[in-house]
Amino acid sequence: MSAHILKNYDSDLSALKDSVVQMGGSALDALEKSVAGLLEGNLDQCYDVIDDDEAIDTQEKRIDEQGMSILLRFNPVASDLRHVLSSINICRSLERIGDHAVTIAKRSRKILKAGAVNEVRLIDPLFREVQKIVSSALTVYSDVDEEAAMKVIQMDQKVDDLHKSLGKSLSAQIAGGAKETEPLLNIIFISRSLERIGDLAVNIAEDVVFISSAEDIRHT
Amino acid sequence: MNDSSSTLDSADAPEVASNEPIISIDNLSFSYDLGSTNTLRDISLEIPAGKVTAFIGPSGCGKSTLLRCLNRMNDLVDTAKVTGGSISILGQDINAPDVEAIELRKHVGMVFQKYNPFPKSIYENVAYGLRVQGIKNKSVLDQAVEESLQKSALWDEVKDRLDSSALGLSGGQQQRLCIARAIAVKPQIVLMDEPCSALDPIATARIEELIAELQEDFTIVIVTHNMQQATRVSNRTAFFYLGELIEYDDTSKIFGNPTRKQTEDYVSGRFG
Repeated sequence: MSAHILKNYDSDLSALKDSVVQMGGSALDALEKSVAGLLEGNLDQCYDVIDDDEAIDTQEKRIDEQGMSILLRFNPVASDLRHVLSSINICRSLERIGDHAVTIAKRSRKILKAGAVNEVRLIDPLFREVQKIVSSALTVYSDVDEEAAMKVIQMDQKVDDLHKSLGKSLSAQIAGGAKETEPLLNIIFISRSLERIGDLAVNIAEDVVFISSAEDIRHT
Repeated sequence: MNDSSSTLDSADAPEVASNEPIISIDNLSFSYDLGSTNTLRDISLEIPAGKVTAFIGPSGCGKSTLLRCLNRMNDLVDTAKVTGGSISILGQDINAPDVEAIELRKHVGMVFQKYNPFPKSIYENVAYGLRVQGIKNKSVLDQAVEESLQKSALWDEVKDRLDSSALGLSGGQQQRLCIARAIAVKPQIVLMDEPCSALDPIATARIEELIAELQEDFTIVIVTHNMQQATRVSNRTAFFYLGELIEYDDTSKIFGNPTRKQTEDYVSGRFG
């Protein structure tokens, strides 16, 4: 794209994008730590995720300020306007991913404190898929790659399938009279959070499609 | 102008339904130097009735030249010449030999960048065009003056001093007076050439509100350098560059998701 007649405009847009990518890194890091804490039996990682959530919230506020400042000073139009609006939307999705990571960390803490159960291993395949979809969503935002964004949206089906399968399996164990039901319920809640994170990654990919083509594909 | 062949000189020009083109520009080329160089090249667009159409583009792109072609203001330039194509207004080729510019301008009024009231009273400024048309009946003039000042949102501010000099009004009021003067003769089309560029933000807002209200009765074509103003006041936008029409579409499309890269670069301030 050609350079803007106002140099600050390009640098501010670029800084906004950098901030969103950075926040995405923080949210992905929180997700990875929260599940790693559970799988590795490491309580410290769970506490880190809970403590670090405030930093993600602060990043969200900063991005809102940056976006508002660009809207106020430069009145962007066309793809620039879509870029600013979608970046603000995406930071909202990332903040919620951070919140889900905190939920996972708190549930993991409960499981670990009660004494780990073998079923936590069932989370791993779902976690790997969710990690992949979030990471891909951040890459397509950074590259503004519409084609890759559509692939991210398709990836969510596998996340949903794994979540359903895990829920069925653990529900059957509980219904079958498993002795320790609380850890199993916590794993189901963790699975639910991972599934929601997949949906948020889809939201990010949909925002990228909007930036690229001006087409709003949400709820279609 | 020949009464039997022209539609523009009849007292009651044909009504044009909203969304139907009231102005059709077909492959128009125009030169200021008798055809040595074309300032406008091969312009084709249709301007719908009852809408506001904005012409945008960098200085020298030809947008004001095209606007002035629409009421043949360029006739005042000796070496100006339409070198190709045509402009039809209300179905009439406005450059046809039997069409008089003065007759055309009864249907196509104009408001200029710098407000230019006559050094006369407020009343006489508005009544001027009607007097030129030969209307002398005081009650007809009174009614037309009041109606035009009402429509231009100036009546409440000046109704008690209609005999005062127009030059005593503020800049924004003078521009609204010029709009009242333009619409007093009931044209179908009002051309506006950067009508707010000499006004402060409050006066600009009044004019923009006025454009929205006038849209109910008139087709408006506005040239503006203010992108935000184009997005606020117009339904359709045409982007010109170096004498050519680059893109013409709904304003929301031009400023939201233009088709041509040149348009996107210009509206987003990336014109190198």
